[in-house]
Amino acid sequence: MDRWIDFSSFIGRISIELSRLAADRKKSPEGEGLNADRISAVFWLLVGGSALTGSISLGLGTTREPGSGFLSFLASSFVCLMALIIFLQSLKKSPGAVPSLQDRWRGAQWKRPLAVSLFTLGYILVFGILGFALATFLLMFVLLRALEHLPWKWALIISALSTGFCYGLLRISLEASLPKGILGI
Amino acid sequence: MDFFANLAAGLSIALQPMNLFYCFLGVFLGTLIGVLPGLGPAGAMSILLPLTFKMPATTAIIMLAGIYYGAMYGGSTTSILVNIPGEAASVVTTLDGYKMALQGRAGPALGIAAFGSFIAGTLGIVILQVLSPPLVSVALRFGPPEYFSLMILGLVILTYLAQRSMAKALLMAGMGILLGMVGLDNISGRPRFTLGIPKFMDGVGLIPLIMGLFGVAEVLINMEKKLSRQFAQAPISHLLPSLEDWAQSKWAILRGSVIGFFLGILPGGGAILASFVAYALEKRLARNPERFGNGAIEGVAAPESANNSAASGAFIPLLTLGIPSNVLMAILIGALMIHGIAPGPTLMKEHPDVFWGVIASMYVGNIMLLVLNLPLIGLWVRILRVPPSILFPLILLFCILGSFAENYSIIDVAMMLFFGIVGYFLRKFDYEPAPLVLAFVLGPLLETNLRQSLILSDGSFGIFFSRSISLACLLLALILLLTSFIPSIMKKREMVMEEEV
Repeated sequence: MDRWIDFSSFIGRISIELSRLAADRKKSPEGEGLNADRISAVFWLLVGGSALTGSISLGLGTTREPGSGFLSFLASSFVCLMALIIFLQSLKKSPGAVPSLQDRWRGAQWKRPLAVSLFTLGYILVFGILGFALATFLLMFVLLRALEHLPWKWALIISALSTGFCYGLLRISLEASLPKGILGI
Repeated sequence: MDFFANLAAGLSIALQPMNLFYCFLGVFLGTLIGVLPGLGPAGAMSILLPLTFKMPATTAIIMLAGIYYGAMYGGSTTSILVNIPGEAASVVTTLDGYKMALQGRAGPALGIAAFGSFIAGTLGIVILQVLSPPLVSVALRFGPPEYFSLMILGLVILTYLAQRSMAKALLMAGMGILLGMVGLDNISGRPRFTLGIPKFMDGVGLIPLIMGLFGVAEVLINMEKKLSRQFAQAPISHLLPSLEDWAQSKWAILRGSVIGFFLGILPGGGAILASFVAYALEKRLARNPERFGNGAIEGVAAPESANNSAASGAFIPLLTLGIPSNVLMAILIGALMIHGIAPGPTLMKEHPDVFWGVIASMYVGNIMLLVLNLPLIGLWVRILRVPPSILFPLILLFCILGSFAENYSIIDVAMMLFFGIVGYFLRKFDYEPAPLVLAFVLGPLLETNLRQSLILSDGSFGIFFSRSISLACLLLALILLLTSFIPSIMKKREMVMEEEV
């Protein structure tokens, strides 16, 4: 029995050590990991490159009569050049000098901005169906209640007041015609 | 003589009841925006821009300008009381302002910030009024090559003054020019970079762009942090600075005013740079520099004077050349154009009511701010206590409102969200959005002037080098570009910027 207990505690200790090792591997130390500047430079190189191709297809014209793609060609070439400089600078700097991709989000509650973006996207999608008033009220309520955990009463009051203010401003001050949606307001 | 005649003409417009009301509304909202961290004056002006569509042009610009310089006043309150700058130009005020508040001297700190702002703001307007007419006569001699070179110089200075990597700032300026190209080509009528989306035929809207990059991105960045505000606990009393406080601050206010005004003229430099330089200068000139950072009243007076004076200086390129020196001036240009007024050297002659009315309203607005700020300090403190959990959803709602109200189009809101997410990632990767926005505004102007210049010169780029003003601008831009990439200068610049950040 005692042997069995020793064996199980041994296995338990090993599994704890293994999970610790795995966690340490996942959590790269500061400065290590994917170089953020290098990644952003590659991204801008791609953006600049596609703008460059777009400019050429628009037509560069001549210096006497510059075409639609003339300035955008110069600007996109410039973007590519700067992206290249940023890339080369990132190679020159020591690994710890530039924060890694992981460092940028270390300790940040990234799910919250993601949730805000998704809620706002949802608002845009249901805007025409629910109408301005209901969609705005729901967006505010969800943000205040689900994301900020405000008490029900306060979430309802602030959502109603802020929606009412925006509705009044648009309908009365600016005489805007707003989508009425299912509620008809 | 002209000075007083112009002032009288301007005051007769600024003191009309409707203009007075909107001037008051502008400075009140500006102070409110300055007090609240999160929504800067650019966001506030964009939100309120649709409200000005039905107003006369002068009234609209008076209100929008009021928001701008009002925000400079309001920004100091949060810096002093909560150690959080309400807007970027008040960052440096936190160093000594908050220390003063912790020492129980919040009252004199707030008082000197308000009086310094008033004196500097008024001095700035006097210089603006004196310098504008001669500068306008110079600007009238500018042709397309001069405008093109000046805008290039402006963009280079803006990126040179960027707080972080200059290569990143230049890249942002390039992207801004590209974004400004989206839509129909003015000359050939061909669609450019529209990705087949009909909405993009009209180009990218300035308001969704600003709202996204400055408003929504700020909300998203703040959402992932745990924000807590540490209020200075001592009660706020004795708002009027003592004679000793005045003696210590008088030169700081004067120096801050002059430096602020001239740095305000620089594209992109504006109020932020002015406040940092004024603070650094006072520290260098001080007999006991170790007092700075530990509650020196000059450390509050100098930057607050400089940022208000810079707000006046920023109007110089707008009123005389029609070129925006910062994002806020770009919004004002947008507002002028909506009312069918072309900003630039002809503004003073063709629309003297707008030109002198706006300048005179700034005198009135500054007095209003002084009268408003000191007695209402309790109100601003109460507003400051609004928790971030309520504040940020409200800011997001106002951004949606501002983007939607421009064209009553939900697509603009979608565009705002897109730029908000882009702005979030730009901040994460240390790219500043300001050069992008300014280049976006200047892009179409740059293209028109480049094309006109080349047509004038029969396709020769020599036109940019054969005219003295154009040549001087391009040479200066080249020197700045070259020096910024020289390793020793680059290192020194990075050190200075890091110190400032």
